Amino acid sequence: MSVSAPPTPPRTQKASRSTPAVPAIVLPAAAAGAAAAWAAAPEAARGWTATLAMTAWVCVAVTVVLASHLVGRARRTAAGRRTETGALKARLAQENAALVHLVNVALPAVAQQVRDGTSADEAVANTAGGSGPHLRQVLQSCAGLMEDAVRRAADAEAGHREALRETRRNTAELEHLTGSTLPATVLKLREGTSAEIALAELDWPRGPQARACAELFVRELAHSERRTAAAESAAAKSLSRVQAKAVSMLADLREMQDRHGEEFLGDLLRLDHSTSQLGLITDRLALLMGGRSSRAWNRPIVMESILRGAVGRIAAYQRVRMHCATGAAISGYAAEGVMHLLAELMDNAANFSPPIDEVHVYVEERTAGIVVTIEDSGLKMADAAMRHAEEAVSGRTTDLASLQGTRLGLAVVGRLAAKYGVGVSYRPSSRGGTGVVVLVPPQLLAQQRDTGPAPAGRTFGGAVPVPGPAPAAEAPALARRVPDVRPPAPPPEPTEPVVRPRRASATAGGLPVRSPGRTMADAERERGDQPRQSADPAATASRDAGSSFGAFHRGRRSGANGGAPAAGPPGPG
Amino acid sequence: MTRRPVDTGAPDRLYTVTGGRSRADDSFDLVTLVVAECEPSPGMQSEHVRILELCRHPTAVVEIAAELALPITVIRILLGDLLATGTITARHPRLAQSAAASHPDTALLQEVLHGLRNL
Repeated sequence: MSVSAPPTPPRTQKASRSTPAVPAIVLPAAAAGAAAAWAAAPEAARGWTATLAMTAWVCVAVTVVLASHLVGRARRTAAGRRTETGALKARLAQENAALVHLVNVALPAVAQQVRDGTSADEAVANTAGGSGPHLRQVLQSCAGLMEDAVRRAADAEAGHREALRETRRNTAELEHLTGSTLPATVLKLREGTSAEIALAELDWPRGPQARACAELFVRELAHSERRTAAAESAAAKSLSRVQAKAVSMLADLREMQDRHGEEFLGDLLRLDHSTSQLGLITDRLALLMGGRSSRAWNRPIVMESILRGAVGRIAAYQRVRMHCATGAAISGYAAEGVMHLLAELMDNAANFSPPIDEVHVYVEERTAGIVVTIEDSGLKMADAAMRHAEEAVSGRTTDLASLQGTRLGLAVVGRLAAKYGVGVSYRPSSRGGTGVVVLVPPQLLAQQRDTGPAPAGRTFGGAVPVPGPAPAAEAPALARRVPDVRPPAPPPEPTEPVVRPRRASATAGGLPVRSPGRTMADAERERGDQPRQSADPAATASRDAGSSFGAFHRGRRSGANGGAPAAGPPGPG
Repeated sequence: MTRRPVDTGAPDRLYTVTGGRSRADDSFDLVTLVVAECEPSPGMQSEHVRILELCRHPTAVVEIAAELALPITVIRILLGDLLATGTITARHPRLAQSAAASHPDTALLQEVLHGLRNL
């Protein structure tokens, strides 16, 4: 904004020039008027007229001159004032311009310099303009204020950054703590590390609150882990005593069953059954508490015994129908686990089916291992229940916290399945209820060639060559030891049973059975040989008479207290 | 926890062998001779199979009990099952003797005597 200089009035010169003209015109006119008045006056009056005229003229002249002088002075004064006004206006414009400069140029420049880091004094010194001292002062104080403000802003910015950095560091620390440090410590504590060691190895966070929090957490968790471990160990130890007692009771009962006769057998069997159930319950708890099974077998156990051992431990064992067509045996180390697993599943099946319905257990041998199918005809499990059961038997969660009330069986199944690599899966049963398929992997099976002869030492034919044609001698001998093929009457098995090469030479109905690789004529001939050779007197005579008598003696001794008469009068039949 | 001694017994309890029965009928006494009438068929209970194997020639009940290491009552229950299905026949030794008169030969009797002296 620029302010123009005020225009000088042109009339001032003219007026000042016309001012001396007024007396010059008025005074002669007045002199002429006085002269005319004197001339026109009578002679008599000429004296006083002349005086009067002279006086009047002088008065007029004085007045005119005075007035003229006053006017002149007033004019001069006005001109002076006008000049002064002009000067003032010019000055005002100048000041205005300086102010505008200050506002538009100097202050922004100073602000910029101060913001760029120059000190206030330097910035003011660097800035041109600022004509007046006041403006200079204004600029100075503005620069000071600005410098102060800039410093504060910088301080605030730095504080903010610091706070942000702190926050970020704390967040990262917390994330590290919760994401990796604490989980690792939890793992260590679960493995049994003490709180002190865990705390010593802890990757401590820097923040005091986080440290306190982590320490409290670790100590509490260690305490709770210790409590759990102590409870588990105490339970397992106590249970192991109960287990030992139950096992010795079972052994005693078995011995009593041998010693006492028929009149006590029923009671003893009932006690035996109760003790076996007790054993299952104790084993279940012991396994959940991290203990061991009550029994351990040092030799392979054939599937039939496995099934019987399993079914003997449940209350409703008489409702379980077993269809075992395999002679395979389970290795000793896994036998008890598989037995317990099957017992739990059978117990479950029997408990969740109507008390009049039977539970069917099928065993078949496949290349993938031994498949045991337990089918009940109870209510079909709801999808959620089946999922829950699947989850429980998967063995993925071994946390005691997942146990539900008294339903511990499936959790034990899960642990055993995971321990031995046994597959357990649920499916709807073709009989209307639920089916459980248990797959015992081949690595748990014992070599069958080894299992066969082990008890054979006690059998009769052990010392005698098996009668029969030489090429077929091996096959019937094995087939007699272990029932291997399903009966010809079709069992209610949805799948075709595996027919194995080792088989009997004839069916129950007397029809010849041809083994793979043999002709029908061979089978027929062998079937014909059997009765003839057993009736052969030479074969009878070749019996080991000593061993026969020994067996008789042993049987007599064990049956001495039996209810049957030893050698009394001939019984019927 | 120390490892317990391993079990050497059999896992099958007797009530699972007999299916819960504890009473036998009176068809058999200790010396009844049992003869198998046919070969064991597949799918049979293992005790039945062993009895049928043992009884290819006439065998006394008490012998079977000793061989199978089972109480006499249990053996009688099992034999009752087999008798019911017709896979064995039972006869008393006196009847057998009167019918067949198959006296043991001198060598066997001497061996028995020898055995008795050694007891």
